[in-house]
Amino acid sequence: YRDLHTFELQAPTRLIEWARESRVCVAGYGQSDGNEILQLIPPPTLQTKETQGLCPERDFKVECGGFSKRPVYSLKYVPDTSLLVTSGPPDSSLQVWQTSAEDSDVIKSVSTIATENGTGQPWAKIATISARAPWVLHGSRLDSVQITEVESRKNVYTAASRGSEELSSLAFLDCNTLLLCCATGQLCLADIRQPQSPVEAVSVPPAPCGEQWCMGTRRGIQGSEPSSQPVARLSSRGLLTLTDLRKTSESLASAKARVPSPGSGAEFLCVSWAPALEGCLAISGFDGTVHVYDTQSWDSSGREAEPIFVHKGHAFSGAGGSGDPPLVTVHTWHLQKPRTLLSAASDGSLHVWDWVQPCGKC
Amino acid sequence: VLLVSCWCPGAGQDVGRSCILVSIAGKNVMLDCGMHMGYNDDRRFPDFSYITQNGRLTDFLDCVIISHFHLDHCGALPYFSEMVGYDGPIYMTHPTKAICPILLEDYRKITVDKKGETNFFTSQMIKDCMKKVVAVHLHQTVQVDEELEIKAYYAGHVLGAAMFQIKVGCESVVYTGDYNMTPDRHLGAAWIDKCRPDLLISESTYATTIRDSKRCRERDFLKKVHETVERGGKVLIPVFALGRAQELCILLETFWERMNLKAPIYFSTGLTEKANHYYKLFITWTNQKIRKTFVQRNMFEFKHIKAFDRAFADNPGPMVVFATPGMLHAGQSLQIFRKWAGNEKNMVIMPGYCVQGTVGHKILSGQRKLEMEGRQILEVKMQVEYMSFSAHADAKGIMQLIRQAEPRNVLLVHGEAKKMEFLKQKIEQEFHVSCYMPANGETTTILTNPCIPVDISLGLLKRETAIGPLPDAKKPKLMHGTLLMKDNSFRLVSPEQALKELGLAEHQLRFTCRVHIQDPRKEHETVLRVYNHLKGVLKDYSVQHLPDGSITVESILIQATAHSEDQGTKVLLVSWTYQDEELGSYLTSLLKKGLPQSTP
Repeated sequence: YRDLHTFELQAPTRLIEWARESRVCVAGYGQSDGNEILQLIPPPTLQTKETQGLCPERDFKVECGGFSKRPVYSLKYVPDTSLLVTSGPPDSSLQVWQTSAEDSDVIKSVSTIATENGTGQPWAKIATISARAPWVLHGSRLDSVQITEVESRKNVYTAASRGSEELSSLAFLDCNTLLLCCATGQLCLADIRQPQSPVEAVSVPPAPCGEQWCMGTRRGIQGSEPSSQPVARLSSRGLLTLTDLRKTSESLASAKARVPSPGSGAEFLCVSWAPALEGCLAISGFDGTVHVYDTQSWDSSGREAEPIFVHKGHAFSGAGGSGDPPLVTVHTWHLQKPRTLLSAASDGSLHVWDWVQPCGKC
Repeated sequence: VLLVSCWCPGAGQDVGRSCILVSIAGKNVMLDCGMHMGYNDDRRFPDFSYITQNGRLTDFLDCVIISHFHLDHCGALPYFSEMVGYDGPIYMTHPTKAICPILLEDYRKITVDKKGETNFFTSQMIKDCMKKVVAVHLHQTVQVDEELEIKAYYAGHVLGAAMFQIKVGCESVVYTGDYNMTPDRHLGAAWIDKCRPDLLISESTYATTIRDSKRCRERDFLKKVHETVERGGKVLIPVFALGRAQELCILLETFWERMNLKAPIYFSTGLTEKANHYYKLFITWTNQKIRKTFVQRNMFEFKHIKAFDRAFADNPGPMVVFATPGMLHAGQSLQIFRKWAGNEKNMVIMPGYCVQGTVGHKILSGQRKLEMEGRQILEVKMQVEYMSFSAHADAKGIMQLIRQAEPRNVLLVHGEAKKMEFLKQKIEQEFHVSCYMPANGETTTILTNPCIPVDISLGLLKRETAIGPLPDAKKPKLMHGTLLMKDNSFRLVSPEQALKELGLAEHQLRFTCRVHIQDPRKEHETVLRVYNHLKGVLKDYSVQHLPDGSITVESILIQATAHSEDQGTKVLLVSWTYQDEELGSYLTSLLKKGLPQSTP
């Protein structure tokens, strides 16, 4: 490691979202009342590009916080506004919040976006964009995908689909194109300018039986075609496939991660591309570790790949021996610092780490 | 309803000084009397004119309590007691009493002798002030006067730091001073019992902070020290008072032992040597682990750490030196700094907060050219690092303490963030208590529900418990009696006894009500009808027809007379005493409904 900071949150989080000016947001997912949404100011070490070592402030500061009655499974900031949207069980509705006003540090609940036949449905996956207006894309199943305008709560688009598979994540590729990933691993594309035509299924990865999948997309450099960035998919058995959306008949590359099997469920499966390192991605959700891979050396054989770095901190920190070992619930890359990641685990720990590139690579 | 009012004098929002005035049930207590390290004029002391305008401080204040020896909590004490004037008792723990005067004297020396200030307290004043101090033990109830008592609890943080419970009758306030809820290498964690105070005043320095784990900070600290020493450089660690110095000594000692390092570690003479002496003296104030290992090996008897001599600073080769004072504002640490600043192989690690105006603060802000006395410019090439090991409770710790003490109200002081609305809501939601966050200089009024103890006479108690259902320990029982307030005592007695004691005559109240009944028969026949009717309805009561023509229901009397003008109407006179009001009213309304036709 070049740097390692470990923090302990009062309650574990399963999301880490970046907000404006390097703010980070975490939220509790406990079943009981009183889950907190916390917007944190990271220590100065994380705000600048160079690391300063023993900095004056090494701590996160709670900038503002809110209280949620339901567990928060997903949270997304609405760009160019002071709003954020959350979702979580017991249904597929969304909650809209306002982050702090000038005179208060409380994140206030503003409204709820209800969904038709939403009760009993799995929790909604969400993505936000503010191209034409502040929009939130949400849905829990393939047949319930819609875009709602955040402030007016008006529906602006509903996807036509025949399937009802459960979704694991969704994303805006650009302001007109949606990418949906089902839990079965199926990727679908939709163009919101053509609401009548059904979503287009894209290649399904081999051997899909029983596993759960999630996806990770990457923002390319400004101005590049969004579909030029490969989409990564991760399965609960550790299979990774990379797909080029322009050429979906075959996968670009695939590999198998060395993870404990059988996988401990797909609850916290997470795969993400490094924003500043070409071809690097990270995976987590199998145990108390986070793996970083360099995909540039992969081919389509599906062989086991060697990670270039494994963060084991969560497995070692915390109360030794008591209860189950902690499970990494989420990880995310720092937006500017190329080798810095943040990861959180089920024991409430939050780690910020910057690994040292092994020799021979740059 | 009695009030607890809290007032925090002192300017500014930063962690400058602590000084809180509490008025509880007529008693006035001052909590801490700190000095602001950043100012060089009168602004460093709290403004006591608010209190003195009411007369002499000694008459107004019942006592002063000092939580621990940090100067931002006790630095203004000699000024307050000797220059402003206060002769009442000052309470603090034994270690605080032993260490306070040393720190005060040290600071006085630097301020007066080196800086040449005049409006400052003298050595004699410090001594005179300490003569007014009464030292207390942990968990010992101290009677300040007949009504006011105080008790100290372990606070962690530094040696001798305590949280204080102030109690007058059944009203109490707990003041935490600075505390932390996680033990460290040489001190335990704060602890308090379920004392349920009306108000808990807690510090909130790190309330909105999520702190980096101690292990990581220590790891980085040791890495930096090791790297510097390995390349032959010298490490200067200016330490502020006692407390963190000991923690870092234990840390380095353990590391040196494990890594088998040979470079010397020095402790500058004077303050810190005495500090180690006090840690040994007050070993019961340290944590479990130290006390346990103390038998085998004195944790403060360091193998690798030696006493420093001024001459050593010029020795070649690597070394680590702990020197005072902590902000590099004067004294030995500044001297060493000037010698070593020019060499980029060296390093200075600031282990604590540095107040504005000090050299420590300047170099941490990035200044690399400093103007010294005599217009000399010092170029700083050595590495400057900062790391904070100070032990304060974070949000989780504050919640823990509230959970332990179960106060009815919470007040947060000593905080950095202006906006703590979220924490306030969190506390209010989780514990259903009110949470206050006054600005400096603001008075907070908190309403309490006092319990007033009242004696009850045995006779009354026996009589009242005999009536109605059996007393249940879990349910309150309603009792009737007369409250006598005489002198300062309250007594509940039976009305008869009260009348007797007060020499009052008892008066009887009797009500009489007229009920008109349509009945053309003779009076005695009407009476018979009424009697049969009542006997039939009021089966559980004693209804009697007396020879003189009247009816009694229990002790209520009913008589019938003919209406003076109308023979067809009979007038029933129903009369009862005050005690039979309920039955009397019932009877009256029953009779007003009229007699049933079928009654013979």
